Amino acid sequence: MTEPVLEVRELHIAFGALKATDGVSLTLRAGEIHALIGPNGAGKSTLIGLIAGSLSPDAGQVRMNGQDVTGQDVAARARAGLARSFQVSAVAPDLTVLQNVVLAVQGARGGSYRFLRRALSDRSLTETATAQIDRVGLAPCRAIPAGDLAHGQRRRLELAMALAQRPRAFVLDEPMAGMGPDGAREMTVLLDDLRHEAPILLVEHDMDAVFRLADRISVLVAGRIIASGTVDQIRADDQVQTAYLGEERLP
Amino acid sequence: MRREPLINLVIILLLLAVPLTAQAMDEPFIVTLATKVAILALAGVGLNIALGLGGMVSLGHAAFFGIGGYMMAVLAAPVQAYEPLMTWPIELAGTKSMPLIWLGAVIAGALGALAIGALSLRTSGVYFIMITLAFGQMLYYFAISWPAYGGEDGIAIYVRNGFPGLNTLDPLQFFALAYAVLLLALLLAHRLGASPFGLALAGARQAPARVAALGIRPYSLKLTAFVLSGAVTALAGALYADLNRFVSPSMLSWHTSGEIMVLVILGGVGRLFGPVAGAALYILLEHLLGGISEHWQFFLGLILLGIVLFARGGLIGTLAGREVAHD
Repeated sequence: MTEPVLEVRELHIAFGALKATDGVSLTLRAGEIHALIGPNGAGKSTLIGLIAGSLSPDAGQVRMNGQDVTGQDVAARARAGLARSFQVSAVAPDLTVLQNVVLAVQGARGGSYRFLRRALSDRSLTETATAQIDRVGLAPCRAIPAGDLAHGQRRRLELAMALAQRPRAFVLDEPMAGMGPDGAREMTVLLDDLRHEAPILLVEHDMDAVFRLADRISVLVAGRIIASGTVDQIRADDQVQTAYLGEERLP
Repeated sequence: MRREPLINLVIILLLLAVPLTAQAMDEPFIVTLATKVAILALAGVGLNIALGLGGMVSLGHAAFFGIGGYMMAVLAAPVQAYEPLMTWPIELAGTKSMPLIWLGAVIAGALGALAIGALSLRTSGVYFIMITLAFGQMLYYFAISWPAYGGEDGIAIYVRNGFPGLNTLDPLQFFALAYAVLLLALLLAHRLGASPFGLALAGARQAPARVAALGIRPYSLKLTAFVLSGAVTALAGALYADLNRFVSPSMLSWHTSGEIMVLVILGGVGRLFGPVAGAALYILLEHLLGGISEHWQFFLGLILLGIVLFARGGLIGTLAGREVAHD
């Protein structure tokens, strides 16, 4: 088996007495979608923060492509090939869709310290950006300020920005949050394709989407991974059923 | 929505027409006022890079304005006193040449902004405002207690510094010089806003976490913008000192910081010609209201309050409407 693209080893972080992440280990391998599910407050967002670098762990390691990146900041990890989307859309509202995605291309390629030429006259930047915008279905909105987009469109813009980074791994925090059923279905199709470009660590509440997309699922409860396996294994796991879903049975 | 460039053109032509008319009507005082507008606008263009593009509310830009002013005195005073600037480690003469003084002011302003920005940008929000204010006041008190350049009284440079090919003592020629520098700064600020750096900086202002997640450090972007901003404001300071032929600690006081910020807000934060419109309005109000009442700043305060509450884009925003995304 080849080296995992992203690997987390025995991560710990506590906020006061709360052990938000309590010995989490997981891997993300080439070509897969690894879903991370768990009830609210299980520590999913904290774990994403630790992986992306906005939080630093009390103990444990984050490794990318076999390199220890635990000591690196968010920007360094991004340049090493980690693309993330945010649970609450974080796009520059006064910049247009095109400008937002050009910014993402620029981040991945470098060259943000050029002061006098027009960013949007750089064809190699805009062509790459435009291709990703078209791919997520935002072609009609290129010139619209991101702040004027509808919620679902903004989620797509986030995805286009992550794509434009040409990453080696995606970490997507609830990409379908707040989308209607149609939007969620379209997003599912998009993500399904994406795993061949780079593996995805997917945090998502929409169980239909998770079961359709995931190659593996890990279940996080109270900062610990209580189960990890294929979709069928997770469906059949009694511990998951009681801890995560209470009395309600998974479909 | 292409009204803004037209309004900008009208403003910049008015700023040229007023002193030309005044000269024809033999009113040198008006020419000097227009020069003051151009120079304060230049200081505002500098602040606007930090405030408008970078979202950094600096209440310490008087530091850079004053650094530029004192750089002029440091370089020109030795010539006036027939002394060398320094004798150790190398012997260096002072200079009365504006281009050299400007170069010195820009470098000193950039270094000052690098030091102040590197520390201040570790904070944000109201702490950033307070720490920039504190650095500005530190320099102010330093200048007051610095006897070599007149301490509290400041220092006069009796003859305005020279510029190759111009008679800078002629008010209109000095105006033309300040006006040309302002135009150049506006051009650079315009290019900066649309450049890859400007895009990244706008991103860092609006969604810093996102920009970091794209692999660009917001801190470095903002520090770079702060340094550019300080350099431009220092250049304005050097010109302002030459306009008055006098430098004093008041250039460094927080009143000056407030004045530069007020004129940017009056004109429109983040709008290219905001500082020009704001400086013109500020000087106009100072003279119109100042003629009516010596408490003119009370009325200025009311107008400012009105603009902040009802016209968020300042004068430019009111005339031109919402900013169009530059595509």
